Amino acid sequence: MRRPDELVDGAAHALSTRLAGGLTRRSFLGRMGGAVLALTGGAAVAAAVRPEEGEAFHFCGHIWTTGSCPSPTGRPRIDRHGYPLRPGDGRPIDNLGRLVNAEGYAIDSAGERLVGPDGEPLPRAPRTRLCEEWVNERFGLNSHTQGSWYRCCGNQIRKLVDCCSRSRRRINGDASLVGYCWHGNRVFCVMYYDSGLSC
Amino acid sequence: MVETFTPAVCGSRRRQRLALAGFALGAVAASALVGASLGAVGALLGTQLAFVVAALALLAAAREAGIVRLPLPQLRRQVPERWRSELPLPVWSVGYGIGLGLGFLTFQPVATFWVACAAAVALGKPLAAGLCFAAYGAGRALMTAWPRHGQPDPTSAVESLARRRRLLLLGNVGALLFCAGLLAAAPAAGAAVQTLGAGLDPAAAGTVLGRARMDSGSSSVLVQPRDRTPIAVPGAAAPAVDGGFLAYEDGQGVKVIDWRTEDPVARVDGQVAKPALDWPLLAFVRTDSTYKRLVVADYTNPASPVERVITRISAVNDLGRPSLAGGRIAWHKVTATSSRIYAQVLATGRRSVIARSSVFVLANPSITSRRIVWVRQNSRSCALLMRRWASPAVKRIYRTTGTTRLLWTTALTGRTAYVTRWSLGTAASTLVRVNF
Repeated sequence: MRRPDELVDGAAHALSTRLAGGLTRRSFLGRMGGAVLALTGGAAVAAAVRPEEGEAFHFCGHIWTTGSCPSPTGRPRIDRHGYPLRPGDGRPIDNLGRLVNAEGYAIDSAGERLVGPDGEPLPRAPRTRLCEEWVNERFGLNSHTQGSWYRCCGNQIRKLVDCCSRSRRRINGDASLVGYCWHGNRVFCVMYYDSGLSC
Repeated sequence: MVETFTPAVCGSRRRQRLALAGFALGAVAASALVGASLGAVGALLGTQLAFVVAALALLAAAREAGIVRLPLPQLRRQVPERWRSELPLPVWSVGYGIGLGLGFLTFQPVATFWVACAAAVALGKPLAAGLCFAAYGAGRALMTAWPRHGQPDPTSAVESLARRRRLLLLGNVGALLFCAGLLAAAPAAGAAVQTLGAGLDPAAAGTVLGRARMDSGSSSVLVQPRDRTPIAVPGAAAPAVDGGFLAYEDGQGVKVIDWRTEDPVARVDGQVAKPALDWPLLAFVRTDSTYKRLVVADYTNPASPVERVITRISAVNDLGRPSLAGGRIAWHKVTATSSRIYAQVLATGRRSVIARSSVFVLANPSITSRRIVWVRQNSRSCALLMRRWASPAVKRIYRTTGTTRLLWTTALTGRTAYVTRWSLGTAASTLVRVNF
């Protein structure tokens, strides 16, 4: 028979998985906030966000070996919807790696629109999701953001996200693992979202 | 052969000179023809062969140095001796010249000839390859005339040359290694890239190049015909050139002039920009508060031009500078979710998507009747891509990296592409020519 804490852990994990696996529009953390973490937290979530050394493989919190999803900057930081952010400060960037304003136009650090060689403001460039669009186009996969786990990185909760597909090869080139993917999918690459919640 | 062109064989010194001249003529003409034909083949193939030829030159050098043993393709034949007795002197001397000038109808003691053939294909320019190969024919002719200078007996001159064979072979090895090095160092493995000075928005038609220039915030257009003084048009931007016609943006709209006389030909007023020209067709983008429309105006009847809207997009998206040629129009469309290069046949209205991406920015196509080029940009690099209408294969002909070397608008004429290269930090721009 399972111990009570194991039962709570299992239930919390199942709930957090189900909630986190919802539409990417609805961030699990954004909806639930710290209070829900306290409710569902049991040992599993609390343990997941316990500050630890974060033996990152190639970015903090990622302790496995699957490589990063392709991104404009090389570091797959995303917003709650899966769109690229600048890794250093979390500001939105387009597919060319340029800072963009709310309308999607490229701007400089002062917020002024960038201009081209003709002196006119530069037109918008595409800004698309790393998993659903980038992986799809560059690797020909029907990929989806699915499972996730949490780590404390830089004193805030980081959500590490699996980009999953049917591919038996991951972005590294070797065999893919199931990870936190479901419905027969496997982890192809990973991304991360920084919640800003303290830990 | 040197013993054939003697006064005794030819009949007199005068006839000897005539025979030598005939031989030289045949050799040079045949060699030039071989070179031009190979260059034409290379032009059709359109592949980047500089590295292949460099490797062949290295292999040939190794063969000549005795490192590898390789049979050479050759016909172990000599010129028909009976021609001297059966044909008139001008005929057989020219015939002998052609036979040896072709190169592949006789012995090949060294591999250099075949490396030169590969280089002519790689060059892809019939005229240049023909001229280079003409030197081979001239060399053949020189060897029939040279030994008699300073030597009483041409045979002894040849024998003295034969005694230096080892030295000649070593020299040949050195020459092949030198050629291999030059070919391997050729920029972009066959595509010659050259910067053409400050400017942007290139426009090209045959030997005429147009560009815009920004000076202290104001724009002007420069039309540069080959071998003529450039013509400047102040207050103009975004040029398009077709033969003697120039289209450009100014403060009122789009204007078409005869750049040789500066006479106005046509104008479209209003919020119009980005002209393209394939006279009497003029394309431009008309913008209002809601849409951007790509319009083609037919000036067959200049008094009443007929406009046709090719496409329209939301004003917040980017409808790029179009290109008109050979009955087609091409343009780009960039939105927040994708970018695409389109081409449409004007007569039938049949539209095709040449390239699409949800990741890259694809922009600024230019077309001819045979090819299309466009720019692909990602966060780290820009590439100038080329495709023939007849083939779906896409080839990269130029690439830059970093934010100080971004690619912008393009132009295309024949197998020469022009592209604006600019810096994000300074907005300074340079025109680059890419031969492919």
